[in-house]
Amino acid sequence: MDYKNTLTTCTYCGCGCNFFLESLDGRLTGTIPCKTGPVNEGKLCIKGWNAHEFVQSDERLKKPLLRKDGELVEVSWDEALDFTATRLKEIQKTNGPDAIGFCASAKVTNEENYIMQKFARAGVGTNSVDHCARL
Amino acid sequence: MAGLAASFGSGAMTNSLVDLEGSDTIFIIGSNTATSHPLVATRILRARENGAKILVADPRKNQIADLSHLYVRHRPGTDVALLNGMMKVILDERLEDTDFIKKKTEAYDAFKNLIEKVDLDAVSKICGVSVEDIKTLALTYAREGSSAIVYCMGITQHTNGVSNVKSLANLAMLTGNLGKPGTGVNPLRGQNNVQGACDMGSLPDVYTGYQSVTLGAANKKFADAWGVPELPTKVGLTIPELMSGIEKDEVKALWVMGENPVVSDPDANHVIKALEKIDLLIVQDIFLSATAKLADVVLPGVSFAEKDGTFVNTERRVMRVRKAIEPVGESHQDWKIIQDISNLFGYQMNYDSPEAIFKEIAELTPSYAGITYERLEGQGIQWPCPSLAHPGTPILHTDGNFARGKGMFHAIDYKPPAEVIDEEYPFWMTTGRVYAHYHTGTMTRRSKSLNFEVSQGFIEINPADAKTFDVKDGHRIKINSRRGEIETRVKITKRVEKGVVFMPFHFEEMNVNKLTNPAYDPIAKIPELKVCAVKLEKV
Amino acid sequence: MIDQVKQKINELLSQGSVKGVVALAYAHGHAGPCLFQKGDDLDALCLGDEKKAGDVRYPLNKVLITLARQYPDDVFGVLVRGCDERGLYGLYRLKQLEPDKVVPIGISCPRDLALACECKKPWPDDMTAGEAPNEKESGGTEQKGVQDVEGKEQPERFDFWKDQFLKCVKCYGCRDICPMCFCYDCSLECEDLVSKGDLPVDIPTFHLVRAMHMADRCIDCGLCDEACPVDIPLRLLYKKTAEVMNHEFGFTSGINKNEISPLSLMGPMPEK
Repeated sequence: MDYKNTLTTCTYCGCGCNFFLESLDGRLTGTIPCKTGPVNEGKLCIKGWNAHEFVQSDERLKKPLLRKDGELVEVSWDEALDFTATRLKEIQKTNGPDAIGFCASAKVTNEENYIMQKFARAGVGTNSVDHCARL
Repeated sequence: MAGLAASFGSGAMTNSLVDLEGSDTIFIIGSNTATSHPLVATRILRARENGAKILVADPRKNQIADLSHLYVRHRPGTDVALLNGMMKVILDERLEDTDFIKKKTEAYDAFKNLIEKVDLDAVSKICGVSVEDIKTLALTYAREGSSAIVYCMGITQHTNGVSNVKSLANLAMLTGNLGKPGTGVNPLRGQNNVQGACDMGSLPDVYTGYQSVTLGAANKKFADAWGVPELPTKVGLTIPELMSGIEKDEVKALWVMGENPVVSDPDANHVIKALEKIDLLIVQDIFLSATAKLADVVLPGVSFAEKDGTFVNTERRVMRVRKAIEPVGESHQDWKIIQDISNLFGYQMNYDSPEAIFKEIAELTPSYAGITYERLEGQGIQWPCPSLAHPGTPILHTDGNFARGKGMFHAIDYKPPAEVIDEEYPFWMTTGRVYAHYHTGTMTRRSKSLNFEVSQGFIEINPADAKTFDVKDGHRIKINSRRGEIETRVKITKRVEKGVVFMPFHFEEMNVNKLTNPAYDPIAKIPELKVCAVKLEKV
Repeated sequence: MIDQVKQKINELLSQGSVKGVVALAYAHGHAGPCLFQKGDDLDALCLGDEKKAGDVRYPLNKVLITLARQYPDDVFGVLVRGCDERGLYGLYRLKQLEPDKVVPIGISCPRDLALACECKKPWPDDMTAGEAPNEKESGGTEQKGVQDVEGKEQPERFDFWKDQFLKCVKCYGCRDICPMCFCYDCSLECEDLVSKGDLPVDIPTFHLVRAMHMADRCIDCGLCDEACPVDIPLRLLYKKTAEVMNHEFGFTSGINKNEISPLSLMGPMPEK
């Protein structure tokens, strides 16, 4: 029996509400607003209350996909990563670093944004990294 | 962000959310707060309970407007005219804060000259708001006590977005409503980590903490830290520029992480065409989004529930995200995916955890220098936090000490939106969110409870227009703009006035962004999602 | 008080008389619901004393229902205050929990908390720590909140509630936090009763449907009030419905272990 409440921050809007993700035996069972969260003080909106619901959706991508003969097909991680790195390298060599653009994200963490722009700038050598701050 | 940065030196929300509770007046413009930021509405409604006056200006009469003391319905895209009208009233009534203006600001004279020439009757005609209401708005905002401005995408998603924001900054400086509790110019961030993505340098012109890529010192600092001989000094391309770069054959590869530009960006048909054309489209996501369907390779990352890290909320508060369950299927941690590709690409990265990455961020970013995972336990920390002993910064520009030195007035004249209605396209279309959904709907539409609340898209039209087109609730209607055509369900409501229609953008099968105008603000590069011209046709 | 609670939980876990104990733990700078199991460190245990004693409360019985649905044969301990114990009695009556599968660990509420709640019985029958004050000291019998609203003229009362309901952002937090709400099919999602898809909610249907539903259930814990993002005084509304139940039928939810609700007396349809 593995029942846990994990304190985290909501993934939807910019309010920054804290809640516990309630899980039982590895499955998310609910969301409980954190009483002492500085922004929400034990309250949530309808999206927050249901923030656990999409996570284990059947529609989640479970394996990498690669386009072969026009179709996206499941492949191993090794194949997907190799393909990506090799093609990026080819394009960088042939067309220069500024032929590659990066769309980082307002949805992922700081750490993930940081590491993506670091790869863009230090790895590929382009400043063409942006995200949908404008939307 | 560009507008506030030009005025104050920093593009972030000036005050804290809790701070709004103590305001005497709150002026909300271009924000459907109760729907899009319900927990900000909490603070606004508490202020109302405490006796604060709530003023709302919005082309669509949203829920917070129902709860306001004065609601004005200005026409889409006429924000600058309305704000200039308000400032004219403030000057006429000699309600400006001369002391604040003199000591804390610059470029006031040019601004004042422009405002003095504003004709209230003309403003009233442009905005569709009575002179009396403009006066009441101005006098209430400028009265004794603290006044806060709250705005959102209704202000920024315009070709005049930066002008709109600068005008709000003008209004706050004119009345000295800055740097004190209950005041400020407060943009509400639409996404959980927009602030963080900006802070982290996911922008084409800056590294972390807004350190410019064109400055030699920052450039060298990051090159040294990242172990490369040099870093590019040329400012990169924004998303709209990347899209046109693809068309011009200059951009050959795009790596999209956790975004869905096919649904979120204006003129969707155009975006689809570009992404179909590109040589290499890499999409890193948790669902097969409309954008992922076009990819050459799709890399399954993990949701917020499966990862450790940090988000930054709208009030600059850095907060912890913690892993609750194991990754679904064979999905991988997003940071690990990037690191693995970087290593294969030939640039070595050896982080062992998100915390290790965060340590590097703190080392290279002065405004984050004092933040550690350990210190984030409890309430999180609001940047700037320059040292381990620093408690963080709930209010920016205290006592009028702006990040850029002095607050900068901008003389701004009203300009109409890029596309205006005409005989062929006689309706103003504006877009936004509904309470149960979020952005492009990839997450919320897969949530049983949220999908139950609102399962399909719709168009809001005024009863008078519904009568003209002989449509009833639930009927289907065709909508055309110069860029595309969609069909959706009719919802008749007085929330929109005659001649204006509204659509939420969560529904990819009736994607309103096939209609919207990609014309963008020349400085912020924010597209004009809030205004375009359309025509309607009964199906 | 916390030492006695710890001792009791230790006893229960080490004897193996319970599979686990649902209580509060302090982690990452916040108190939150936790399941303590054998061998777990009880150092993190807390009673939810943030600014004032007992001011951080969570619907622990709701956690218990989640566990009981998955593990119906196991026995669990649960930390209860007076209201939580009323909740247990109600949940036994409504067949959501079985009395022989639950071991309550009772604590009384401090006077401040009891006064703020206008709680009629801020202590459980079965008490591990704390003491039951006499009726006078508890100060809880006075229902000033309800009296104040009832003191207003009818039109003023109407405007008051209309303004309150107009604020609703339809988060369903009042239902989702409620330890007495467990239905798989909820009346609030019945489209014949409540329309969906727009804000504000149907006034007053949405809130009155819920209030009617709470009439023989509400155990006056106040968690709905605390969870409401727009500060609608929901507890006040349910206090009033509870008062009607008490006045008309002499019934108070959760006050008696073997209670039967007057609203369930009709039972199933008689066979023809």
